[in-house]
Amino acid sequence: MIDEKVIEIINTSLANEFELDIEKMVPDALLYEDLGLDSLDRVDTVILLEQAFKFKIREEEEIRQIRTLGDIHTFVINKIQSLRETEGAIQ
Amino acid sequence: MPSSNISDPHHRKRHLGVWRLLYSIPMNLIIYPLVSLWTLSGIIVFPIVFLFWKVALRWENARIMRLFIWFYGRGWLVIMSPFVQFRRMGFVKRTIEPPYIIVINHLSFFDFWCMALLPFSNVVVAVRSWPFRMPWFAPFMRLAGYLDVESLGWAGSLVSGSEIMKKGGSILFFPEGHRSRDGKLQRFYSGPFKLSEETGTKILPLCITGSDMLLPPGSWWMMPAKISLKALTPIDPKDFHRTLGHITLQKHTKAMIAQNLAGMRKA
Repeated sequence: MIDEKVIEIINTSLANEFELDIEKMVPDALLYEDLGLDSLDRVDTVILLEQAFKFKIREEEEIRQIRTLGDIHTFVINKIQSLRETEGAIQ
Repeated sequence: MPSSNISDPHHRKRHLGVWRLLYSIPMNLIIYPLVSLWTLSGIIVFPIVFLFWKVALRWENARIMRLFIWFYGRGWLVIMSPFVQFRRMGFVKRTIEPPYIIVINHLSFFDFWCMALLPFSNVVVAVRSWPFRMPWFAPFMRLAGYLDVESLGWAGSLVSGSEIMKKGGSILFFPEGHRSRDGKLQRFYSGPFKLSEETGTKILPLCITGSDMLLPPGSWWMMPAKISLKALTPIDPKDFHRTLGHITLQKHTKAMIAQNLAGMRKA
């Protein structure tokens, strides 16, 4: 999956679930201050990403460092990349 | 047809606008002093009533305070009634069985006062931290056990909310978080719906119209208005039991409120 496609899936999922204005969804947008998400939405975001990309991330420490939409993009892209590498190593 | 004809809708609208403006002058001159007097009397009388309820009826402090706030609101409705028409719809006694998680659209500072239209008084309002910083409201809000959801966070709100509902109290949320400036529904936060899912408590959706005409956001000049409060059919969270079911419940509730608001405004 190419990075642009990943970003599109993330943005569309978040916009649909949390009724976000797609124009505000720029990589620098802060999740709380700019997009108006709250702590509960943060938990739901993790579940949404798990559903959209079929991986488990809720136990990962890195999630706590996420502040912006761009952080989510980077986190998911890196996660997909690392899963691919793991799968490749097993094969 | 001459433009001055009263049957002309534009002329009638302008005529009504002028009438409302003129009528608002005595309204503001009368209402503000009367509400101040009512509030002051309430503050003076409250300790006596509180003690009586506490000793004679053995109610817990928060429950007495909630009843007192509701009664204060009832007085406010009476004071406002010569200038504001209040209409309550959908509160059929047999079908309204608290506790509920009440969610309502938010248009005006006075929406909170309009909750005196509810047929029950055991209601806790869930708000952000800023109203708890207002010295004239905070002591009463704390005594009534109102929820500061911002400070409590999700885990704390769940614990406190569950306790309140176990004792028969309903919790009222403005899920938009703040007043709508254009009357349109804003994004709903998911807290009340998650609380409903976690505790199995039904959602009671309410629609309010007209309070923005009474006191538009950013203004202190009241205008005559017609305020309607409508209760919709309670929603059972069991029907939304799935992953992220609370978001589906939130969207369903918002759609119901939006549809009914449109109907109320047309009427």
